[in-house]
Amino acid sequence: MKISFLIHNAYGIGGTITTTFNLAGALAERHDVEIVSALRHRERPHLVLDPRVRLRALVDLRKEADDPLHQRPAKVFPPAEYRHHQYSELTDRRIGECLEGLDADAVIGTRPGLNVHIARQAPQHVLRVGQEHLTLDNHSPRLRTALRRAYRRLDVITTVTEADAAAYRRKMWLPGVHVEALPNSVPDPGLPPADSTAKVVIAAGRLVPVKRYDLLIEAFAQVAAAHPDWQLRIYGKGEEQANLRRLIERLRLWNNVFLMGAATPMEAEWAKGSIGAAASNFEPFGMTIVEAMRCGLPVVSTDCPYGPGEIIEDGTDGRLVPVGDRDALAAALLELVGDDERRRRMSRAALDNARRFAPGPVVAQAERLLETAAAARSTGRPAAPQDHRTHSPLAGRGHAARDAAQAAAAGVLRSIRKGRR
Amino acid sequence: MSTPEDKSTRTHEGTTPSAPHGGTMPAASHEGAPTSTPREGPESAMPGPQHDTHLRAHCTIDADGRITFRLPPTSDEHPRLLLRLRPKKGLPETTVHVLDLETDRADGHRHAVLEPRPVLDEGRWDVYLLPEPGAERRRLRPGLRDLRTLVDGHLRDRPSPVAVRIPYATKDGFLALRAWRRTAHAEARGIDLTDRTMTVTARLHGAGLREDATVRLRLRGTDTVRTIVPRLDGDGRGFSFTAGPGDLRGDGGEATRIWDVFVRPTAEGRPVRLGRLLDDVADRKHVYVYPPIEADGRTLRPYYTVDNDLAIEAT
Repeated sequence: MKISFLIHNAYGIGGTITTTFNLAGALAERHDVEIVSALRHRERPHLVLDPRVRLRALVDLRKEADDPLHQRPAKVFPPAEYRHHQYSELTDRRIGECLEGLDADAVIGTRPGLNVHIARQAPQHVLRVGQEHLTLDNHSPRLRTALRRAYRRLDVITTVTEADAAAYRRKMWLPGVHVEALPNSVPDPGLPPADSTAKVVIAAGRLVPVKRYDLLIEAFAQVAAAHPDWQLRIYGKGEEQANLRRLIERLRLWNNVFLMGAATPMEAEWAKGSIGAAASNFEPFGMTIVEAMRCGLPVVSTDCPYGPGEIIEDGTDGRLVPVGDRDALAAALLELVGDDERRRRMSRAALDNARRFAPGPVVAQAERLLETAAAARSTGRPAAPQDHRTHSPLAGRGHAARDAAQAAAAGVLRSIRKGRR
Repeated sequence: MSTPEDKSTRTHEGTTPSAPHGGTMPAASHEGAPTSTPREGPESAMPGPQHDTHLRAHCTIDADGRITFRLPPTSDEHPRLLLRLRPKKGLPETTVHVLDLETDRADGHRHAVLEPRPVLDEGRWDVYLLPEPGAERRRLRPGLRDLRTLVDGHLRDRPSPVAVRIPYATKDGFLALRAWRRTAHAEARGIDLTDRTMTVTARLHGAGLREDATVRLRLRGTDTVRTIVPRLDGDGRGFSFTAGPGDLRGDGGEATRIWDVFVRPTAEGRPVRLGRLLDDVADRKHVYVYPPIEADGRTLRPYYTVDNDLAIEAT
């Protein structure tokens, strides 16, 4: 098959980019794969892309940021999308042209706005796949309304968790659209797994409030008090850096907690630790949890929506603790820090259990999805029987009505506020 | 209406315009420590690559400092690996090491081993592939750097000379080694700060401490030295000392002053630099960061220099 991925910006760092590169690389074993990046801001991608995967960009911000068309707001890319401010008439046009001229069997979008482009603009003969790397429930009612309208024209929607797939089936009325959870994959590590001896806890991700590194640092204060020879390393950059630095100083943890800066790839860094940690309030998937486990680290994580609970088996290959609960997080970390044998046992379990996220199983599922969808197209039947479909059309319409009402109300509120200014 | 979730999910797929190591640019031109090495600057030896055709080399280091480099299969007959000590700006290249790249029977990959001896000169070493004799050398990019054996390296006592190597990625994304070579070395560990004082715990490698050991703070660029009597652990290696504003008074002049930290193991011995070299962190300055202490109208802040040596900034 010829497969094109459409991505926001392949030159940045982030979970969607990582997983798209992983999936594209794995599909390139047997398929002709390209990644089309809507935007580009640097010469080379940060992340390493399989050389068999072609990469091209549609708008090069280094040269075209000042293009007059780029100053005008996008119309096809939905205004309610989070990144609408980065899109424009120029991106509308380039993405539209790209899709019209697409010489591919399937095109896979990787965020809501791009999925809308695909639903509206991909040629009839191309399979249209929309990937949801965020979650339906966290979209605004306005965005959900826009997606509900456009997504009917997709063949397949993939989510990264079962929980989100269930939300799509329950709350969207998308006849004939196949919805399935396709987890992110993490390549087989190129290094031997961590041996559970290093007195290092590792966390990785962008330093943004939702990741709750503040909570993790506070929890680690209890670990450092009991085990001063242990350290916490936090990899990543972001807007919270200065706040986290101040917190480390306030808690007098400068000998134990380190902001390491960004590291790509993370694999060699995970191998230096023996416990992974995640304290997020919200995690659509939880890529770093899988990465850590694949390197042999049991992970202590908050049981936030939606990913961690579908990745970690509490007490077996890691620990799940309530969201926002510093003491529970500290207790779970201390449990592993203080028990070498338990840590070793959970490390082995993490290695075994995380194999289901290897590219092999995930890419096989992706291929099956595409083939089934192609077959459904040729027979004119819906893509696949949807076993989990528990919703009635009415339920979907109920949610649609509620979203539409809320979106309308929000619009009114906005105009009222504007009027007051 | 914007929900809090809007804000949080917005951050999911980031674009980070600056380089991954953009935040760690060693800034200070005043880092004129005696052991200073060329700074991480534009890597002018190579033209800016338009396409990433550079080979990646994985490397693994063991507890003795032995580094195994691993490259993908090449069709070259007799490829070799070249390490060169990065010369100071405008100076010619003087020191290189060349290693044979052996072929792995199993998968055709190439590997080369940099043994612990000879000890590398202190500085930054760039890594190149020499495809074949006479061919142009190609700068290598880093693959996986397996440095896990370095993480607890401070626990192993070192003989003299103390030699340290840490493979790292340069600011512009190439593979290089940082090397330190010191007759003796004092490895700083924890730094405790109170309202008025800082207490540094350290361990001497490559020499032995005697009862008459002293800690010496030298005002950078001058012969001004303040002496502090350390507390000795009694094993001839471990010691700690406490410094406060009274120990760091200059000779007038209120500009920012930098004090470099040494320990003199015996009354007759040569001063040994305090630094933190014995782990996997190649560039420590922006990772190991300490808050300032304010006392007697002065601000004191311990920090690590671009060469990972300990210094105290007084303003």
